[in-house]
Amino acid sequence: MTRDADLCFAADLGGTKLAAAIADAGGRIVAELTEPTDPRGAAFVAEQIAACAGKLAHTVGIEVNQARHVMVGIPGAIEPGTGRVSLTPNIAGLEDFDMLGFLRGRFGADVAIENDVNLAMLGEHALGCASRCRNAAFLALGTGAGLGLLIDGKLFRGARGSAGEIADLPIGHDANGKVPSANGTFELEVGSAAIVERYQRQGGTSAATVRDIFKRLELGDEVAASVLDTTARWVALGLVTLQSLLDLELIVFGGSIGVRPELYERVRQSLPALFSRPIQILPSQLGDRAGLMGAAWAAGQALRQNIEFA
Amino acid sequence: MTTLPAPPIASVTRQLSRRSVFEALLHRSPISRAELAKVTSLSKQTMSEVIDAFLQQGLVRPVGRTSGNVGRTAVLYELSPEGGHVLGIDLGARRLTVALADIAGRVLAEADEATDSRGGAWMLDQIARLSDRLARDNHTHPSRIRSIVMATPGVVNPKSGAIEMAPNITGLDHLNVVGLLGEKLGSPVILENDINLALLGEIWHGCAQNVDNVAYLALGSGVGLGLYVNGRLVRGENGAAGEIGYLPIGGDPLKAECRVQGCLEYEVGATGVVRRYREAGGSDVDSERQVFEQAQAGDPIAASVVDETARLTALAAATVIATVDPQVLVLGGSVGARPDFADKVARELLKLSPRPVEIRTSTLNRRAGVVGALSVALRRLHDEFFGVAELASVLPLPPPAQRSARQ
Repeated sequence: MTRDADLCFAADLGGTKLAAAIADAGGRIVAELTEPTDPRGAAFVAEQIAACAGKLAHTVGIEVNQARHVMVGIPGAIEPGTGRVSLTPNIAGLEDFDMLGFLRGRFGADVAIENDVNLAMLGEHALGCASRCRNAAFLALGTGAGLGLLIDGKLFRGARGSAGEIADLPIGHDANGKVPSANGTFELEVGSAAIVERYQRQGGTSAATVRDIFKRLELGDEVAASVLDTTARWVALGLVTLQSLLDLELIVFGGSIGVRPELYERVRQSLPALFSRPIQILPSQLGDRAGLMGAAWAAGQALRQNIEFA
Repeated sequence: MTTLPAPPIASVTRQLSRRSVFEALLHRSPISRAELAKVTSLSKQTMSEVIDAFLQQGLVRPVGRTSGNVGRTAVLYELSPEGGHVLGIDLGARRLTVALADIAGRVLAEADEATDSRGGAWMLDQIARLSDRLARDNHTHPSRIRSIVMATPGVVNPKSGAIEMAPNITGLDHLNVVGLLGEKLGSPVILENDINLALLGEIWHGCAQNVDNVAYLALGSGVGLGLYVNGRLVRGENGAAGEIGYLPIGGDPLKAECRVQGCLEYEVGATGVVRRYREAGGSDVDSERQVFEQAQAGDPIAASVVDETARLTALAAATVIATVDPQVLVLGGSVGARPDFADKVARELLKLSPRPVEIRTSTLNRRAGVVGALSVALRRLHDEFFGVAELASVLPLPPPAQRSARQ
């Protein structure tokens, strides 16, 4: 039996913002907050996570150590067994920082860390648009590109925890400019920096961010439309790669760029010409809360299992 | 007062006893009753009952006595080859291979011949003929063959029993292959994708033993991928996982040929290799093997075609590494397992993937498919005899040390 009083702490750490929540054993969020990520690097970010837990505990009226399970989403690959983090370009020093050790020191033993996109996949599987799927992916497109995979109903992490780290997928322009595919990599075509650079290269008027480009698109900017067409085509080629390898039922689009209909509708349109079987795409139902809700749900699940088997 | 009927505990206990004795025999033969009782933690009396029943069924046989110790000697037992047989078949575009094994996983005999190029019913007749001959030569009555698994390219249509999406074998897309072959062989036949079975073969007897997370990339007539994760094959939503011929690598995916055959397959499949060699001004060849031989003989055009094939294969491998993060990547197939080719792929991959993965080349080569077929046939036989509905687990297969010398 779970008691309503059993609470857990969940966080979703991103390169620009940190979201945190206290949830009940059913994974339902009872209090949450969002802050800009501390730019000074891993040790400060770790303290920030602990401080968020303190603030939320105060709001809910409990002590921090009453949170009986803690789940933190990390933007990187996490090695199974050791909890070592790699492939985290967006947070300085995270690869050399023992995040799991720090969190255990602050919260006690029941702490887990998980790749942030994996948690978003879990969130959509438990509470969102992938609830009936056994084989699905969550494609996060924003600053970078990442993939959370659900295979035969379970999270698929890979031998070293780096399954779905598709930034290096060799889908992109090669050195000879031969299109498509060769030595270019996926993130260099679809990451936010690549999109802005493409816009500037094609002579677009001043746009510093992808958000600016979406605004220009609304104003009828043809360069913006063409840049998004090209980007969508690279994304579509990434999906063709994914389908050839894994034959998924659904690909959920998330991340600040992935959720924009201006992008995923273009991807949908370009797919039939590239792949003979249909590929189903849906925008994330949980939106930018997918990672946090997945973390809360996973923490609640760990809590439920602990209690059931205690 | 009424009494409830007793739950069938006794029978489940008995099944579990039989199963654990069988498992011990599978992995520790030859073995005495006393040793069996020790490793299974069963009582001496239960052990005697189980062994006596196995002896009566012809499942075990005595093979001598313990020696060297002071005191009484004990009879040693092993699984009897008469306990049941399994047949593995690998139907390839060029070669048909058949192998026979006993219940302990010992490969008793193997035979292969060129696949009947007329395809269809001729091919099915050929499979039956070769299987019968193998059984007859080994004095095995067909009725003793309890489980048959066949490796085939393409995808089996579960409704019609036909083999579809296999452009390299002809005339099986409109026949009920499952039904017809079952009739001819006198026993139901399970069909499974050849790449998946080659992967299971490498895991049982080949280069991927004791690895939990394996990707098997096969390059031969065509190109394909098998994925094995935590004890299971990854099949995908419609059984189409691993159809990497469709990777958008090597050509323009908008081209009609690429869309039908797949970009990667169009370039690196056997016909693609031959086509690229001819287009580049190479001499007249009719197989990709000749292109590889020409390259080794110093033909620069052939060498550059081989290099490009290795580069494209490495790109495909890099997509596998980025997406599924395997512990080991096995290169197999008639082209993929060539050591000179595999070395080139490994070198290209170092340039492409920031996360190097251990690469191994197939050690079973052409036998991988048939060995994998045997492993699945064996599991099914063990499950039929010793499966316990209450247990979801499967019996582990015996290690390759049990395999007898091949003829």
